[in-house]
Amino acid sequence: MSSDWTPIALSRDVPDGVTRAVCLEGSELVIWRGAGEAHVWEDRCPHRGMRLSLGFVRDGALNCLYHGWQYGASSSCVRIPAHPDLTVPPTIKANAYPTCEAGGLIWVGKEGAGALPALPATTTPVLSLAVATDGIEAQGLMRDLDGGRLHVFWHRVRPGKVMLHGVIEGSADVSRVAALMRQIRTQYEEGVAA
Amino acid sequence: MSLTTDQAALDQWYVLGAVSHFPFGTPVETGLLGEPVTVTRRDDGVTVIGAGRSLPVRTTYNHVWTSFGTPARDIFALPEATEPDRRWLYCGGVRVAASGLRLIENFLDLAHFPYVHTDILGSEEKPEVAKYEVEQRRDVDEIWATKCEFFQPKAAAASDGGQISQYMYRVVSPFNVMLYKTPPTAPNRWDVIALFVQPVDETHSIAHPFMLVIDPTSTDAEIIAFQQMIFLQDKIVLENQRPALLPLQPGRETPTRADLSSVLYRRWLKEKALTFGTEPRTDGVAAGA
Ligand code: FES
Ligand SMILES: [Fe+2]
Repeated sequence: MSSDWTPIALSRDVPDGVTRAVCLEGSELVIWRGAGEAHVWEDRCPHRGMRLSLGFVRDGALNCLYHGWQYGASSSCVRIPAHPDLTVPPTIKANAYPTCEAGGLIWVGKEGAGALPALPATTTPVLSLAVATDGIEAQGLMRDLDGGRLHVFWHRVRPGKVMLHGVIEGSADVSRVAALMRQIRTQYEEGVAA
Repeated sequence: MSLTTDQAALDQWYVLGAVSHFPFGTPVETGLLGEPVTVTRRDDGVTVIGAGRSLPVRTTYNHVWTSFGTPARDIFALPEATEPDRRWLYCGGVRVAASGLRLIENFLDLAHFPYVHTDILGSEEKPEVAKYEVEQRRDVDEIWATKCEFFQPKAAAASDGGQISQYMYRVVSPFNVMLYKTPPTAPNRWDVIALFVQPVDETHSIAHPFMLVIDPTSTDAEIIAFQQMIFLQDKIVLENQRPALLPLQPGRETPTRADLSSVLYRRWLKEKALTFGTEPRTDGVAAGA
């Protein structure tokens, strides 16, 4: 599986009009969704460094909480409220990362990332779960269940902490899936491969 | 954490709190510039111990001031402190997990009023920051911003409606700043609101707001509650700026015309070669260059 892309959240957990802070390998990211589309940026406003995850989404744009600078879907700053008549220079941009959504997950890519890995076509997001470990050996670990199959993806928050993202293919009982994910967590935290 | 070696930071006067907030006879532990300090108030005065020695103490403007170094100047002059009809209000220390220099910059900033102090010090309908003037007064080594104007729905505890407030800002040392603002009840005079910042370490500070105001109607509790509400709103943004240290390297942040006072403040810090609370530079330029 290509390591150009990392899943960082369940799509369901970032509904339209919402921002969400995520930590990936110690870097602070913001995920936000406007007009249906998810974006992943550095969680830092280029003006004075305010975390953009504390901002608000309005009219399909992300607005910084500190001075209201507004960033469009392309990550360019489109409005500086302190200077209402100013045409904002195109050089003022938030730091955006390649983003895509597939398999019920939001993925962030490296610059020039290749194609996304193949994913099951129809999945239902179930649960994200923190695990005290350094990493899981593979993305997309599978477990069969009655009527469906659990796929476990993950991203590393920082050394010693991983976030699992579980999606199911088919129809499995959600509480059973959650129990299975907790079991996977226990196995990793105790140093036993699942 | 240990005492900084930054001489420019050492050679300054710092406030550790209002004198009246220290209990008699009981030593109070606090911190300054990375080093623990102990303040003791007695009937015959205040002592401050830090880095294994007695530090110089002043009680100017009813605050405890100290220094680890040799400040080039005495504590700044505040002529309003001699005016008999002013009320002296001490708002108490507020801990903020950020560089003290970030606190000063936030205090100098008009553009955040509509977003951080919504419908109090600013309104989203009128976010424009009109051109103002900034200068470095070399004779007193202070930064001033004058002719600042801003529409405010509720400028102070005594306001009963919106007004265009006039402001002046005065930075008297890297960690001490004040603003002058037209009071709702006396439009031909200036309220003074000072922010004395105690830099505990590079990314933790205690803000000590102090006011000398003309307000014959509000109670002390009302004025202090108003100021504390404003400051708690600022604390949220201050603790969420990245990095927590103030960047001095060009290109790390994006100033516009509304940020002229911040631009001059940063230039002045560079001139002083102050590095405590600033982000290490990666462009090979040394402090003070
Ligand atoms: S820090 Fe984001 S608008 Fe100023
Ligand atoms: Fe503020």
